[in-house]
Amino acid sequence: MGYDRGMRKQIAIVEDEPALRENYAAALARQGYQVKTYGNRRSAMQAFNIHLPDLAIIDVSLEDEAEGGFDLCRDLRALSAEVPIIFLTARDSELDAVSGLRLGADDFLTKDVSLPHLAARVAALFRRIDALRRPDNAAQIVRRGALSIDGEKMQTAWNGVPVTLSLTEFWIVHALARNPGHVKNRQQLMDAANVVLDDNTITSHVKRVRRKFQQVDPGFDAIQTVYGMGYRWVE
Amino acid sequence: MSIRLQLLLIALTTLVLPWAGCQYARELESTLRVSQESSLLAAADTIANALSAQPQRVFGDLGDGPAFDWAQGDLYVFPLHNQPLLDGYRDDWDLAVAPKSMPAGGLAARLQAGCTERYLFIYLEVDDPKFDPEPSNAHPDHDEFDRVDLTLQRPDGALESYFFATSAPGPVAAQSVVRSDDGVDHAALEPRIQAFWLQTSRGYHLEARIPRSLVGSRLWIEAIDGAGGGKAGFMGADSSQGGRLFSATPGLNELLATFIGPGTRATVIDTNALKLGLAGSLTSSKDEDLRTGGTWYRRFIAGDTSHWPLQASAPDHLEGKTVTAALAGHPSAEWLRANPSQASLLSAAAPIKIGNQTRGAVVLEQAGDQLLDLRDRALTHLFNLTLLGTALAVAIAFGVATLISLRIGRLRFAADSAVTTDGRIRLDMPESNRGDEIGALARGFERLLARLNEDTQYLRSLGGKLSHELRTPLTIVRSSLDNLESEGVRADQAGYLTRAREGILRLQSILSALGAASRVEESIKQAERVNFNLGELVQSAVAGYRDGFPAARIELDTPTDACSMHGAPDLLVQMLDKLIENAVDFCSASGTIFVRLTRADTNYELAVSNDGPPIPPDMLSRLFESLFEHRLGVDDQPHFGLGLYIVRLIAEFHGGRAIAANRSTGDGAVFTVILPVI
Repeated sequence: MGYDRGMRKQIAIVEDEPALRENYAAALARQGYQVKTYGNRRSAMQAFNIHLPDLAIIDVSLEDEAEGGFDLCRDLRALSAEVPIIFLTARDSELDAVSGLRLGADDFLTKDVSLPHLAARVAALFRRIDALRRPDNAAQIVRRGALSIDGEKMQTAWNGVPVTLSLTEFWIVHALARNPGHVKNRQQLMDAANVVLDDNTITSHVKRVRRKFQQVDPGFDAIQTVYGMGYRWVE
Repeated sequence: MSIRLQLLLIALTTLVLPWAGCQYARELESTLRVSQESSLLAAADTIANALSAQPQRVFGDLGDGPAFDWAQGDLYVFPLHNQPLLDGYRDDWDLAVAPKSMPAGGLAARLQAGCTERYLFIYLEVDDPKFDPEPSNAHPDHDEFDRVDLTLQRPDGALESYFFATSAPGPVAAQSVVRSDDGVDHAALEPRIQAFWLQTSRGYHLEARIPRSLVGSRLWIEAIDGAGGGKAGFMGADSSQGGRLFSATPGLNELLATFIGPGTRATVIDTNALKLGLAGSLTSSKDEDLRTGGTWYRRFIAGDTSHWPLQASAPDHLEGKTVTAALAGHPSAEWLRANPSQASLLSAAAPIKIGNQTRGAVVLEQAGDQLLDLRDRALTHLFNLTLLGTALAVAIAFGVATLISLRIGRLRFAADSAVTTDGRIRLDMPESNRGDEIGALARGFERLLARLNEDTQYLRSLGGKLSHELRTPLTIVRSSLDNLESEGVRADQAGYLTRAREGILRLQSILSALGAASRVEESIKQAERVNFNLGELVQSAVAGYRDGFPAARIELDTPTDACSMHGAPDLLVQMLDKLIENAVDFCSASGTIFVRLTRADTNYELAVSNDGPPIPPDMLSRLFESLFEHRLGVDDQPHFGLGLYIVRLIAEFHGGRAIAANRSTGDGAVFTVILPVI
């Protein structure tokens, strides 16, 4: 999975809960990544200033700073626009998710994500970085009407205009658009997104996806809710 | 008993004041009676003493003769107030007493005498059906005819005889037998003595008028039947006895009048209790207003006077204990009833003694009404004041009681409705700013409610907090298990790992259920409203439930026309989820869940019913409260009483409400959400 060419990918984990921190680190290290762990924002930022990690996993609340993770994310984005950032939080407030993603995080996960799921995400984000560095490969692009999906770079565009989605959002769109007209229930979407979420969270993910497309095209209406069942993509 | 009634009863105890007043008034009355008695007795005594000093003016010419004797022909002469007409009837005499029977000798006759200032009147009834007319030039000694003989002693002591007879009834004059110069007796008319002869079926009446100047102190009357020779009456052959005329002493009335004041009647009687003089009257000028004002409650307080003897008085004489006692030489007083209507009368009698001999008595009578007036005046004041006081006390007590009971009622109502049907708690109580006990009670309620509210709030937020706080340790455990699995475990250890994971899953679903309400509250805050078709939403959702709960039978009924709605469809689906989950939990294995959407006026009604056990009525309104759980069975899912609370939250977000009821047929429950059409 996450093998790099030449040197091992370095992942920074910023988490104030030591046991959790060590568990994440052990799981990711087992995948062959080089893992650095930090307990608070200052120590993490000091390290980032010296050496940028290849990917950062950041807890939203850090020790005495309830939203220290957001500040760290902002600072890290200032250092680099490309480093993939995954937010982890014990809270499942939608507001947190929205603000986290707006700050440029690539994904926003609650802490009850399983370690294999986390590993899958990390791998996917590295794959995307790699794909972005490669020249365009049109063969990977799937088109569904106005929608175009680049499965490798995990990018979407509507009428040629790029729509920036988080990893989870991308996987949801991907799962829906692959078989237009088919209803995907929430469980299927969760499986596709490598995540275990409750129904509310899926709903808010879908809502957020719609809003992002509507920013590009106010008439966007391709994701239909089938109440009591799930969602489907209509062309 | 209500506070108002209690205070009212207490206030009524002030009625003891008028009662005490009555008792006091009775005391007062009896004291006054005693003092009136003694003063009247003293007055009578004084008058008697004064009169005994001038016997001539009291007893007239009568002198100290033997007792009045009717059988001897003694006659009481009633004072007449008006001059009667000579017509043979005595109606115009205005006397209540009947004529008295005369001693009879074969003839029955009754006699009465009266006088005015100038005349003496004689009235005679004779029962003699056969009229024997007088022949012309009759002689009483030789001829037989009906006649009435009159013998009178003239003022100079000489006796004079007359007779009345007539040939035909009508006016007659008295006749006397005169011996003329030729020595022959013949009847001569005495025109000064006039009479009227009235013939009746029983006999005849004779009403005669004699000038008082012709009459001395004695007079005899005899009726003689001409045919039968029967006689009745007295023949005054002997002037030394009988035939005395008893009458009021002239001038005594005026003398008496000088002794007495208004409202008092004085009577002087002789030893025969015959009236000699009379002055004054019992009626006195009275304050009529006071009397009418005072009489209505007199019945409550008046002493019983029914045992008092009735006043007994005749026009010619007096009777009674006092009279008897006085004539026996002892002054005495007595209370009488003037008539059966209980008007009281005080009678006091004192003997008139000349030397050591009782010659008569003075009887003073005074109306007890004077006393009543006094008592009434005092009582009217007392009554008015105490009644006013009582009325005031009752009114004040009633007002205070009403005020208190109103305030307590307000407090009770507030306490009753402090916990609203949707489980919220109102913290402010009425009356809490008052300084008295009710205010303190209200403040006590407020403190209690504040505590209750804190606890409820805490309990309500506990689910969310727990699910949040437990998530991190749970994640640590699970991620550790993930790591352990990745490191590889021995085959014999794998079972433990699996069991640990199962435990984790269950814990997670419990936490998820605990935090459900706070997540819904969160998403309500973020919710966006859109226009959609509620009918399609329900149809589509129910189709999903049929897949999701293949064992349950779900019947759907929606209106055919579009049900446009403005709201948050996701939330409404969640609401429907909870309703269906609830219905599936309670529905029997063979039962059917009915989902019915109807439009009523400005509302949509979404009803989900199942054939589960009926809900106790007192639970119905509480079902939608947070953390309220009423479940008889036990299943493997955790329940925290949040499902229906979420239904309520979402219904209220849409401006609607949720109602639980039992089916009218009693075999199941219906949960209805009423959503306004916007």
